[in-house]
Amino acid sequence: MDTEKKKKKKAAAAAQEAAGASTKLPQHLQDQKTRVFCASDAPTYQNVSYSGAYMASRIDDSLNMADFVKNLKVEIKSLTEEEMVFDIIGIDPAIANAFRRILIAEVPTMAIEKVFVVDNTSVVQDEVLAHRLGLVPLKVDPRNFEYRTEADNATEKNTIVFRLKKRCWEEGPKGAETRVNEKVYSSDLEWLPLGSELPPDEETKFTAFNAPQTAPGGQPIAPTHPDIVLAKLRKRHEVELEAHAVKGVGKEHAKWSPVATAAYRLLPEVILKEDIRGDEADELVRKCPVHVFDIEDLGPDGKRATVARPRDCTLCRECIREEGWEEKVALRRVKDHFIFSIESTGALRPEELFTEAIKILTDKCEKVLADLF
Amino acid sequence: MTNAPDRYERFVLPEGVSKVTRIKDTRITNAATFEVQREDHTLGNLIRMQLHRDPEVLFAGYKAPHPLEYKINFKVQARDTTNPETVFRRAIDAVDTEIADLRKAFTEELARPRDQGNFY
Repeated sequence: MDTEKKKKKKAAAAAQEAAGASTKLPQHLQDQKTRVFCASDAPTYQNVSYSGAYMASRIDDSLNMADFVKNLKVEIKSLTEEEMVFDIIGIDPAIANAFRRILIAEVPTMAIEKVFVVDNTSVVQDEVLAHRLGLVPLKVDPRNFEYRTEADNATEKNTIVFRLKKRCWEEGPKGAETRVNEKVYSSDLEWLPLGSELPPDEETKFTAFNAPQTAPGGQPIAPTHPDIVLAKLRKRHEVELEAHAVKGVGKEHAKWSPVATAAYRLLPEVILKEDIRGDEADELVRKCPVHVFDIEDLGPDGKRATVARPRDCTLCRECIREEGWEEKVALRRVKDHFIFSIESTGALRPEELFTEAIKILTDKCEKVLADLF
Repeated sequence: MTNAPDRYERFVLPEGVSKVTRIKDTRITNAATFEVQREDHTLGNLIRMQLHRDPEVLFAGYKAPHPLEYKINFKVQARDTTNPETVFRRAIDAVDTEIADLRKAFTEELARPRDQGNFY
């Protein structure tokens, strides 16, 4: 009797162990947990953030650093001076979103903040011109500068001074004159490494530089793009002004935002639930506006549709719109696979921007931790 | 626009104000509200997500009470095996470590030789 009980217990323990070892959900639950389904009417996103939601199936989603490190993957897909596309696999949407928000609003750059207009007889009003100047992206590393508060003097450490002076006139024989300096370009902004050259009045000294500013690489500090039209001039119109650029973040004004776009999307996953052959395969290839599908030639067996470029899928659902197709093609997105793209405005390279964003997020966490008792 | 708040009010912590204050919940046991100054959804959602992954957390939520009040409030209730401070601290620590890992992975990937400009 006693031994029988023991035997039973042992068997039960073995069964439990076996069940515990296979920490895998049934396929449909696993799909539900890791994929977004895009049916022809609407996508379904089942968001379970509670770590114990699958406890009954012995799946523990509570934080496990070893697993996180093991599953985390970063893959750079393309990298140029201006744009970077990379995949982050194995993170939570909250992390991806935090980086997106930080890139847009909290990574600092330099932008023109104060404009001192000496003369402006163009048709563009002073305030409009000043606003246009503010939006010009500057090719300067903001890490070499400090923030300037109201109380600070403008020094070589926190201010970059540009002069803009342009006058339009006409040349040539009477009746066939040509205008010279018809447009004011961003390349007309001339960097003054010694600070303001405006005569100080009783109250304001425009800048108090202690030393001349230097630019790394020997290149003078200038806008990223030389060909931005700031104003148009006619005969005897003149613009003369001084523009002071300071460090700031996109939260305060979008002109300080270092990115043109910073966005992420989930990896699309296209699955053919059954073999699609012959004319149907041709039809499927024709349906897709972004050419996700290809035809595989099977020789004597005809042809078969294959998913060749799932990353291009925009989930327009054109392929499953017609009746009957939803049973053949499944459109999904992978919930923890983020395709991140960063397009820089030119101050920093995109990979440097992301590194800066990581630093800023770490700083934020540490600031809260430091003050937490 | 005379009563408009200064633009920098949004992210500069005023002198004498502490970054985090804890308000004890008088009605629910083992629960607390953490008021974090000059932060927004960037950190709010991140920490909330991390709290949800902690088996010792019974309830976790955050809100930005008003668009002109530059702070966020976390409400945390913990199991009686621990207390709200511990789980809150643990969550932020975890975020910190995850970011460090991500940074390491990113730096390694950057150092790897690759083709340029091949989009998607």
